[in-house]
Amino acid sequence: MLPSRLKPTTAVARRNRCALLVLPAVVLAVFVVGGGIGAATLQSLGLMPLVGPVRLSLDAYTGQAGELIHALGLSLAIAAAATVIAAVVGVGTALFIVGGRWGARLVAITSAATVTIPHLIGAAAVGLLLADSGVLARVLGVPPDLWPSIVGGPWWVAVIAEYAWKESAFIGLVVAGTLLTRTARFDESAAMLGAGRWNRFRFVTLPLAVPALVISSMIAFVYTLGSYEVAWLLGRTYPEPLAVMALRLFTSVTLTARPEAAAVAVLTTAVSFVIVGLCFWALRKTAVWR
Amino acid sequence: MSAGVSLRNVSKSFGSARAPALCGVSLDVAAGSCTVILGPSGSGKSTILRVIAGLDAVSDGTVHVDGVDVAAVPSEQRGIGMVFQRPLLFPHLSVLDNVAFSQRVSGASRAESRRHAQHYLDLVQLGGFGGRSVQALSGGQEQRVAIARALAAAPRVLLMDEPFSALDPALREDMHELLCDIRNALSPTIILVTHDRDEAAAIADRIAVIQAGALLQHDTVDRIYHRPLSTGVSRLMGGLNEILGHVHAGMHVSPLGEVPVSPGTPDGPGTLVIRHEAIEVSRCTEEEPSASGVVGHVSRVRQFGPRRMVTVSFADGSEMLAALPPGDAVQNGCRVVLTLPAAAVSVVPL
Amino acid sequence: MTRGDLRTASATRARPLRARGASGRGVRNLGVLLVVGWFLLPVAPLALWAFANDWAFPSALPSEWGWDGLIGSVRQGALPALGHSLALSLLVSAIATPLGAMAARALTFGAVPWPRAVGLALLAPIALPPFAAVMGLNVILLRAHVPPEMGLVLVLVVMAIPYTTFTMRVAYAAHDIRYEEEARTLGASRRNVLWRVHVPLVAPALARAAFLAFLVGWSDYVVTLIVGGGEVVTLPLVTASIAAGIGNDATVAVLSLSAIVPPLILLALAGRTGAGPRTDGRTAVRYQAFDYQADRDPGEQK
Repeated sequence: MLPSRLKPTTAVARRNRCALLVLPAVVLAVFVVGGGIGAATLQSLGLMPLVGPVRLSLDAYTGQAGELIHALGLSLAIAAAATVIAAVVGVGTALFIVGGRWGARLVAITSAATVTIPHLIGAAAVGLLLADSGVLARVLGVPPDLWPSIVGGPWWVAVIAEYAWKESAFIGLVVAGTLLTRTARFDESAAMLGAGRWNRFRFVTLPLAVPALVISSMIAFVYTLGSYEVAWLLGRTYPEPLAVMALRLFTSVTLTARPEAAAVAVLTTAVSFVIVGLCFWALRKTAVWR
Repeated sequence: MSAGVSLRNVSKSFGSARAPALCGVSLDVAAGSCTVILGPSGSGKSTILRVIAGLDAVSDGTVHVDGVDVAAVPSEQRGIGMVFQRPLLFPHLSVLDNVAFSQRVSGASRAESRRHAQHYLDLVQLGGFGGRSVQALSGGQEQRVAIARALAAAPRVLLMDEPFSALDPALREDMHELLCDIRNALSPTIILVTHDRDEAAAIADRIAVIQAGALLQHDTVDRIYHRPLSTGVSRLMGGLNEILGHVHAGMHVSPLGEVPVSPGTPDGPGTLVIRHEAIEVSRCTEEEPSASGVVGHVSRVRQFGPRRMVTVSFADGSEMLAALPPGDAVQNGCRVVLTLPAAAVSVVPL
Repeated sequence: MTRGDLRTASATRARPLRARGASGRGVRNLGVLLVVGWFLLPVAPLALWAFANDWAFPSALPSEWGWDGLIGSVRQGALPALGHSLALSLLVSAIATPLGAMAARALTFGAVPWPRAVGLALLAPIALPPFAAVMGLNVILLRAHVPPEMGLVLVLVVMAIPYTTFTMRVAYAAHDIRYEEEARTLGASRRNVLWRVHVPLVAPALARAAFLAFLVGWSDYVVTLIVGGGEVVTLPLVTASIAAGIGNDATVAVLSLSAIVPPLILLALAGRTGAGPRTDGRTAVRYQAFDYQADRDPGEQK
């Protein structure tokens, strides 16, 4: 087709064209992610103050170290609890979706519908359901003073429940997608080799679904860690998870609050990236077959 | 430990399809034998295997393995191994662990199952490949591992669904040799599905010819080729010659003339079929034919694989094809005598 | 290796016949109902409250049905908020989907410089908490005099890019480029190949990616709150301010339902375009191409 002397040019031109295709997305992503993290870091170190002189200082971190640790611990605990519940329910959901028959369609439709609900709306709905004058209390006939404080209570139950509810739908759909495309082929082979239902699940289905499960759980965990609206709406005012603390400081009138808010942001981002990094490192051995 | 398989009047319809996939198929496979199910695409060959394996349930009829009706037995408990067209090696396990899979699920320890698996990996001549990942294998190697994996489960019956059709011819011959070795070592009952006639002839003890969901003939290779029960079987086996006529007093009478047929052929209308390889073609000649010969004129000579094929036309317009011996004795247009040996002639009653 | 060795396996395989249980089916059905109930439970109160004029404790059902909730939410600005939400989400989707698709195409089929770094950069926004991004970025955007709407769209597009890129990468991995090569040998120009062959074949995946990007814009709260600076009022913002108060349960329910319904409609539409053209699906990548559905298709008997 093409004379060979034209080929080297074509290869370079191809490379440039490909670079052009990725460029818009990459530029925007780098600007927002890099710029956001960079600016937050600078603000937290006092190098980009709203007013006043530029002065490098770690006060934003050291001044509220206790609260930072406390908030981090709370956020991690909420995220961990919600993700564990979501992972278990999600795997069950995925298995039902793959199982076929009437149940599969029903579960698939309800979980897909759940994924489309914004977290804020979900929080409002969970609040209507679980509050002490909520629908659940009314249906069960329990008066307000006897109803356990689920919303705004010390155990953050409503918050964890909402996150778990929504993330279980997400994890369920991602894992079901993997099971449907990749593991279905191997089910018959495993059966012909003598594996019953439980053994097929244990030796074939689960190992093949683990990468998808880990990745979707990681995404759910990191999202819950940095999420604001649910903890704000359904939680209590003290102690605060990281996002709530950050926004309170951000909108506060005190001058020192901005750098402190930025410090919370930087901490949360750092923890998120560490967790994502750990996940990918743990998954590096499993071939992620695209 | 091998078992016989017997299908009695098995029918299978899939809900949405118009025609049934299988229609009243009855088949008996002796223990330790190798039966090849041969047929064109869409004939229902794979469905038979799936029904024997229990991956699909029969709509009608029964399947017996070793004399026991297996309708209520799930696939994993039937003691039947299956090798599919795609090897379907588990991507998350190494080669050795793949072969060891059946042992692992029956409760053996990892070390024990691996020891057991190594024997079978040696049997398929991939002894040193145990530690490799399945992505590192070629197509032929993958299929060998799949066979080893199925054998390691010590099945009573081994089903193979077009296992070699994705491989090129040289590799396919290696696989046929491998099957030979396996039969010598283990004597399993093998039921293999293929659409390749030559493959069927190479490995089968008996061939079952299937078309459009019905079993046409189940017989030894020789009888399938030379004593087909219908023109359908003859054509599926690549038979090219059919002459309409009727049998009377030991001769088949047709516009071509009278051809002697084997004793015991019933009188009445029938189609004469003969393999093109079995016809003897004379040189261009003006001689009269012998008792089992017919006269015609060469209308076409063409290449057919390694041989040459001559098309001989007759006075009434019918044609026969015959394979030529080496040499250039025959030219287009000349008059030849075709000898049809009685042993090769077969009559299919109408 | 003797027959004896190879037969030991069969001795351990003798197992009792297990009847395919009705009890197993019952457990399965119960499980399905539990999971479905789990997903539907929080939505139930919304349906009840949306049409409740009066629902005093402790009755299990509203004592009076009516449209108070609807009237209240319209008075609180639900309709403009709905409009803003739709506009924002559609804009985010319209920008993030092509960007993600182009990047995915280049990464799958092209020779992108430093492909791994590029792939990571496009996935990084997932690890970034939204509030952290906007806190840092807000200062930059303000100083650069970027209008709040533009800044908002920018941040949301970047938050949607990981989803669109990932969805399209999966789609392109299964995409057989030989269809396009065939079209070129048939004389189609690049434009024709793109619009007549390439896009129709990946259309279902594009619909999925567009829907995910739409959801990112539709569901967002924090970014709209901070970068929007109070100028862009979307449904989540209105719902949040009402829900934070007391006694507005009917209004909150109506607002919530109006935030749930449009994505569901889009989901149903996307589901219908989801059945894309049936292709041979064989690519150079092993295992990738094998279409399980084709294996099980009863029409394709052998």
